[in-house]
Formats: sequence, C-alpha cells, structure tokens
Amino acid sequence: MDLLAGFQTGLATALTWHTLMYCFIGVTIGTFVGVLPGIGALAAISLALPLTYYLDPTDALIMLAGIFYGAQYGGSTASILLNLPGTATAAITCLDGYPMAQQGKAPLAIFVTAINSFVGSSIAIILVMGFAPAIAEFALEFGAPEYFSVMLLGLVAASTLTIGSPFKALSMVVFGLLLGMVGTDVNTGQFRYTFGLFELADGFSIVAVAMGLFGVAEIISNIGQPQSVIRDVGRIRMADMLPTRAEWRQIVRPTLRGAGIGSFVGALPGTGPGIASLMAYATEKRISKTPERFGHGALEGISAPEAANNASVQSAFIPMLSLGIPGDAVVAVLMGAMILHGITPGPNLINSEPQMFWGLIMSFWIGNLMLLVLNIPLIGMWVKLLSLPYNLLYPAILVFVCVGVYSADNNVFDIFVVLGFGVLGTLMRRYGFPATPVLLGFILGPLLEEHFRRAMLLSRGDATVFFTNPISAVFMGLSVLFLASVFLPGLRARLLRQKPGAVAED
Amino acid sequence: MFRRSFLAASAAALAAALASPLAAQSYPEGPITIVVPFPPGGSTDLLARKLGESISAQLGQPVVVENRGGAGGTVGANYVAKSDADGYTLLMGVTGSNAISAALRDDLPYNPVTDFDPVSIVISSPLALVVNAESDFTSVQDVLDYAAANPETFTHGTPGVGTSMHMAGELFGLESETKLLHVPYTGSAAALQDLLGGRIDAMFGDILVTSEYIASGRLKALGVTGTQEHFLLEGVPTIAEAGLDGYAAFSWQGLFAPAGTPPEALDALYGAVSEALGGEEMQAIFRERGFLVEGMTPTDSKAFIASEVEKWTEVVNAAGLKQ
Repeated sequence: MDLLAGFQTGLATALTWHTLMYCFIGVTIGTFVGVLPGIGALAAISLALPLTYYLDPTDALIMLAGIFYGAQYGGSTASILLNLPGTATAAITCLDGYPMAQQGKAPLAIFVTAINSFVGSSIAIILVMGFAPAIAEFALEFGAPEYFSVMLLGLVAASTLTIGSPFKALSMVVFGLLLGMVGTDVNTGQFRYTFGLFELADGFSIVAVAMGLFGVAEIISNIGQPQSVIRDVGRIRMADMLPTRAEWRQIVRPTLRGAGIGSFVGALPGTGPGIASLMAYATEKRISKTPERFGHGALEGISAPEAANNASVQSAFIPMLSLGIPGDAVVAVLMGAMILHGITPGPNLINSEPQMFWGLIMSFWIGNLMLLVLNIPLIGMWVKLLSLPYNLLYPAILVFVCVGVYSADNNVFDIFVVLGFGVLGTLMRRYGFPATPVLLGFILGPLLEEHFRRAMLLSRGDATVFFTNPISAVFMGLSVLFLASVFLPGLRARLLRQKPGAVAED
Repeated sequence: MFRRSFLAASAAALAAALASPLAAQSYPEGPITIVVPFPPGGSTDLLARKLGESISAQLGQPVVVENRGGAGGTVGANYVAKSDADGYTLLMGVTGSNAISAALRDDLPYNPVTDFDPVSIVISSPLALVVNAESDFTSVQDVLDYAAANPETFTHGTPGVGTSMHMAGELFGLESETKLLHVPYTGSAAALQDLLGGRIDAMFGDILVTSEYIASGRLKALGVTGTQEHFLLEGVPTIAEAGLDGYAAFSWQGLFAPAGTPPEALDALYGAVSEALGGEEMQAIFRERGFLVEGMTPTDSKAFIASEVEKWTEVVNAAGLKQ
C-alpha cells in the first residue's frame, strides 16, 4: 500500500466519531496523568488496559497510545512550576524550566514545551509514516556492542550536564550506577545488594527513585515556609506565553536537533524517552556558545529535551509496529493489549492490519493537535496552582506521589522507597550534591552493564567487538570526541601558558 | 497486653470454630481476588481475566484481577503465599513462579510446593525451537551434531534465568549430553531482536509469537518441545521425534490458593474452572493463543507440581544453576 492510500485508510478510521472520542479521552487522561507527579504513563495504561478489553481493538489501541504520548505533554508542567518532575524524563526539564519559573517566565516555558512537544512528535510521526520498516531494519542491526557504545556516549555526553562541583557530580553518577546494581543479576539470576529484602529482587523502581530525589525532597526542603511560591499570579495574558522573535530564533535549532535525537533513540528498543531527553540536553549544552546559561533558565535547555522525549515516544512505535518488538515497558503493555484483541504484532502487521496501522498513525496527528489545543488554555490554570499555599498544595502532591508509586506494581514497599529517597534527596540538597547525575547513573548503569556483559558473552571475551563493528565504532569515536572537547581546551590553555609568545592570539 | 491478646485469640478461635462450617457451605460470600504476578497485557493476565469472568458468573460473586508484577512472578506469588487461606485470594501461577523457582532458589521467602494448594493446572503450552530463516541449521539433528562437536558455542537466547525457555534449553543440553551457551535477556522481545538480527543461533520461544515470524519467513521452526505436533505449527516435528528421544518441556499456568484453604472452597473453585474451560469463548481464546487445555483436578495438580519441581531440580542441579 502506498503512502497516499495509507493516508486515506488511516483518516477514514481515525476520523470516525467513536475513534475521535477515544483518542480525546486518551490524550486528556494522558495530560492529567503527566501533570500529576508520580502517576506515570505506565501506571495509567496498566490501570486503563482492562477497561479496553471490551472496545474495538483499534479504538483501544488509539486510546492507550493517547495516554502514552499525552503524558509527555503534561510531564513538564509540574517540573517547571514546582520543580516536581512527573516522570524521570521530566527531571531534565526541571534543570532549566524551574529557574525560568522563578524568573516569572512560567507561562512562556510551558507554552514553549507544548509547541516543542508538538513539533517533536510531528517530525517523528513523519518518520514513522514514511520509513518505519526501513528504520526498524536499521535498528535490528543494533546488537549488544552497539547498545553499549550508544549508552556510553550517553553517559559521557551527560557528564557535562551539571553545574557546580565536578567532584560532587561525578560521585553522584557513581552513586547512581551503584543504585542501579541492586536487584537480580541478569546473567546468573543471583540477587545482588538486596540485603535479604525480597522486595528489592527487581531493584529500585525508577519512578520511586526519581520522585523521591526530586519531588519529595523538594517538598521536605520547603517545610516551614507557609506562603505560596507566588502570592498573586494575576491574569495570564497571551503576551506572557508567546515567545518574542528573538526567543523563537533561539529555540528553532535546538528543537529540530532534539526531535532528531529523540526519533533516533526512540526507535532503538530498550532505550526510552529518559535517555532521549538526557542526550538532547547534553548535546545542546555541549554545542552552545554560552553553556554557562544552562541550569539558569536557558530556553534551549527546555526546548531540546521536550522535543526529544515526544519524538522518542512516537518513534518507539516503529519497532513494535513493523517488527513486533516493543521498545519499552509502556509499548510492551500496548502490544499486550493488541495480543489480547487477537492481533499479534509482527513483521506482517502493516500489510495484514493496514486499517489499524494507518488509523493509529493518523490518530497520532489528531491526538497531538488535540493536545496542543488542550494544553495552551490550561497554562493559565496550571500557573494559578502556584498561588496555592504550600500547606494545601504539598500534602495533596504527597498523596498523589504515594498513590502513583503504589499503583505501578500494587506494592507498599515502593512507598517507603520513595520516602527514603526523599530524605536522602533532602540531605543531598543541603550539602550541595546534585540529584540529576544520580538519575543518570541509575538509568544508564544497568543498561551499560547488561549490554557489556552480553557483548562479552557473545564475542567470547573479545573486547575488540566494540571497535570492529562499524556502528559501534562510530559511537565509540563520538564518545572520544566528546571527551576530547571537554579536556582539550583546558589542555591547550595550559600548553599556551607555557609558551609566553603565543598567548596574545586567544 | 498478654491478657488482651489471649482474649482476642480465644475469641477469634471461637469465632472461627463457629463460622467455618457455615462459611464453607456458603463459599464464596464476598469478592474473590486473583493475583496476576505480571503487568497487565500478558497471556497470564488474559487467562486470569477470562477465567475470572466465568467464575464470577458461576459463583455469583465479583472476581477482581490484581496485577502484582516483579522478579519473574515471584513477588506476586509470595504475596498470595502469605495471604489468608480462605479462598478469597488466589494466584494465577506459572512454571517459573510455582516450580522452577523452587528448584533454583534457596533464598525465596515462600515455598512454591508447600505454601500453595493448587486449584487446577489450567493450560499448558509447548515451546518452539526457532532459528533465523537464513541459518544453516535446518533440523534438530543439525543442532545436536553441531552442539556435540562445539561445546558452549550454540547460543540460545531466553527472557531470563529461571524462565521456562531457559529450562527448556538446559533440558535440551542435559538430555543430549551437549552444552549450549545460554544468553539471558530481560524479556523475550530483546532476545527476539538478536535472533532476527542473526546475533544468536536459536530460541526456545513462545509458539504464538514465533509463529508470526515463521509465517512471514523470518524465522524457521526446527521442532516443538511438546509430545505432539502443535496446531499453530503444522508440519513441525517434536524435538523428541526429530532426534532427541524422550525430550519434553512445557510451560503451564494454573490457579493456586494459599496452603490450608478449606477443601470446600477448592472444590467450588475447581468446579467453576472446569465448567469455564468447556465454554465456547475460552476454547476460541485457547485456539488463538496456542494453549492446550489441561483443567487438572486439585489432587492431580498437586502431583503434577511435585513432578515438575523434581524434574527441574534435576536439571538445575545438573547444570549447576542453584543459587
């Protein structure tokens, strides 16, 4: 089927009134789930899935997918306004989003993330439409060495991410890596660092760690401050939201780069939006002429990661729809939903279920448009939340956090984990240890280890695979370049200082 | 303190003594919870929900399905093992959570054999030994010959240590006196990705999932692990027929109650399960998913679990996998 015919089939499906309705329900749930701290897309889809057993399979899938990408829109709101990331992904948006809010630019920041989310999604959807099978075949070339090299690049790139003491940042990356080792060893099945606590057999839940270190820590740190963030926000006018001409120019390129990085990372099974926004942020900071603005409310610092996480969520459908391989935990649940309805995703899906495939893709457009329309008027309402006094706002948020963390696996233990990390996060703040590097190590560490050990297992211990596989070699090279760009300027300056005659040039 | 707890205990004992004959006759009196030890969307979840609907209709009480995922199903199983043995909290258990884990781990906080009273082993499903369509291996005999000549070289990917796919591979090695190289992943999708990409040699995979790739010409099935040809893979011999005499490995799913559940409750539940299995809708689901209907009685199920634990303990010990 060619693209045009696909377009028509898809629109015919996606524009029926009941499909539109389920799409709307999905994106609306997604927006709210994204805004509420702790309740992520995974938990919401898991809760909604049983309700869809009685729906038409296409409607069910469109609604569930709507929750998934809808949550990416809402996710940034709480990060920007309250420094409370709704998801691990949104923790990156906190870095520059919250400083913007403190400078009174919250409406602008939320507006930009909404627009960027839309642009990021749109670019990824075009890729899904035009090139899904080709991209999926390319992703199939990625084995353990390639994954390891990509993750290593992520770790190297992201090490430039924090401001403040490099020693503290590095020690926090290592702490995150160690936290990631808790759980079942993939290769032997042995429990590691669980200290007899069976609840730790699967390691710490990422939601609990992120919510504890960021959200709960933020709340504890503000205890004893009775007033609200802003006394009176007044009326939010359109002018507060719209970027100026200079600001538009500032965000165009980061958005496009973010969308590109997100689309690529999302198409690789087993990565996810967290890694996408991390890489997008690190890239922007690396290539920026004024990296010192990052962390203090740089507009690029929210544009790139927001475009990236939305793009990655859309392109995460590529391996599932064209090969039957779910890219991450949320897509795996969506795939389960399809199987429940008697449709097993595999390499034939596009041909055997064109109506579902194209209907879903077209619903992505419609859903993203709905999200844009839904989110912009809501900005005023969200910003108004800031005028709520802490003693009303924070207890409510704590309840949402606990409910959200619990609902992921119906496990009370996770609530204690989130509270424990909340206390830890508060102490870290008190002594100036940044939380983002912990999250970074925690997300990337287990993936690095798993792929490294699998690469070694399959190559029978031959470490040259990382350099002899062409794709892997490219990423290894990029890591080296990245490191060089960090260390060389300093080195050069030192060399120049030794030769007094050469100083004048710089 | 002592006095109060003594009083409370004797009051509870009295209440239990008075209540139990009545309760037994009127089971169920309230909602029944079926714990699925995996996230929603999987085959265990589907089976639990469909069974739940039918049990609810027959026994006249709501049946709630609760997903408690984690650690290959053992977190949910542990929860049910520690629940009240009153017939109101049940487990949809699988090979991994209720048999292999007993063989594999000493550090489990529950005993998969003594902590449960099975209601019924509901379904079973063989696996398929699949290789990439472009692979040089064309038969089980090829694999046997190659593995015999090249120990620890033939790679098979699995969703993780202690899964039924892993055990099927270990049993293959044990019975053929060869050594395959086990490559564990975190879930079957990642293993499938490497199989499609030609980075591992084979998988003992789920029949339904692999049949899609076989139909589209990306994978080929060399054999099934069951005792007869499977209806989703017509023309594919069993591994036993194809060269490894006596080989058989299944994954299965069953309904379990905590040990000590009143027999009346078990009987009522078993009656509802076996009635449900005859239903038209269930039959259709089973055909679609490639499940074989078992519907064993509680007594047969108990004996079956014991034999499974014995079988996998032997494999685990021989392969040196004990944790």
